[in-house]
Amino acid sequence: MTEEQVKELVNLAETIADNKFIMGEQLVEIGVSGPNLEASLASISMAQGELGHARLLYRWSYEVQGLRAGKLDVKEQTGKAFDQIVNASNWVELIAGLYVNNAAIDLIMQELITNKGKDLNAQFSKMANELSEHITYSKNWCKQLINDKGSIPRRVQVDLEKAYESASKWIKEVEENSHLKEAGVIGKSSHLVEAFEPTINEVLGERSVSHA
Amino acid sequence: MTFPLEENENYILLTRIKRGDDLMQVGSFRAASDELAKIYAAKIYDEEDWVEMHVVKASNLVPVRLPKGLFEKEGVK
Repeated sequence: MTEEQVKELVNLAETIADNKFIMGEQLVEIGVSGPNLEASLASISMAQGELGHARLLYRWSYEVQGLRAGKLDVKEQTGKAFDQIVNASNWVELIAGLYVNNAAIDLIMQELITNKGKDLNAQFSKMANELSEHITYSKNWCKQLINDKGSIPRRVQVDLEKAYESASKWIKEVEENSHLKEAGVIGKSSHLVEAFEPTINEVLGERSVSHA
Repeated sequence: MTFPLEENENYILLTRIKRGDDLMQVGSFRAASDELAKIYAAKIYDEEDWVEMHVVKASNLVPVRLPKGLFEKEGVK
């Protein structure tokens, strides 16, 4: 790979890792006082998963650069996590960010596994399975909150849209990145932007609007 | 189908630790959908490497015999 391709791949890995690192932290901070015991316990368990994924991806970003990660001790993100999840301060904001960001990450990871699967270790498949559980959890919680009373449905919608804005912008940038395409990370005929569009409307149901 | 928070249903968790072991009830919890119930079971009850796990809606149990109310004579049901 050329120097530019490596730089873009590291940037991609760090963006995913940063978001996972922040989601892991927020699942503990906010999740511990979730709406019910079941949600809180599952949040803490999933936080461990998200932090594990972040470590795996940070390690991978080192390997891509030909560096040895050694015993990686991540203290803070590199500044690429999306604002919505960084600034989340309550359950509604956490769940909206968790769903949209993980759905976006899942699309990119699937593309990566399809195109570069043989270069990735087995832990990436484990991560893909856990990622799908995290999406199911947050998607079901979004649906539950959308069906709630008072101001909750409106607040969920606003936060889903806020999270969607950053995530869809990122997916578009990744899909249009010529260095990632040349490196074979993103397929030349990928449809990531198109595939991401239904994400938000799947949970908004009757409240759905066009995000094209 | 996902229901609002107050309409969550009771689920019962049945597990088997190893092949050949008995399928046992190890817990119960409330969830808004079967999908969420499966996630709760896997994430909350992860203390063992279960070979088998099932969640059942408590409302799907078919009663054969039920305990009588302890204070039925006093009119308490």
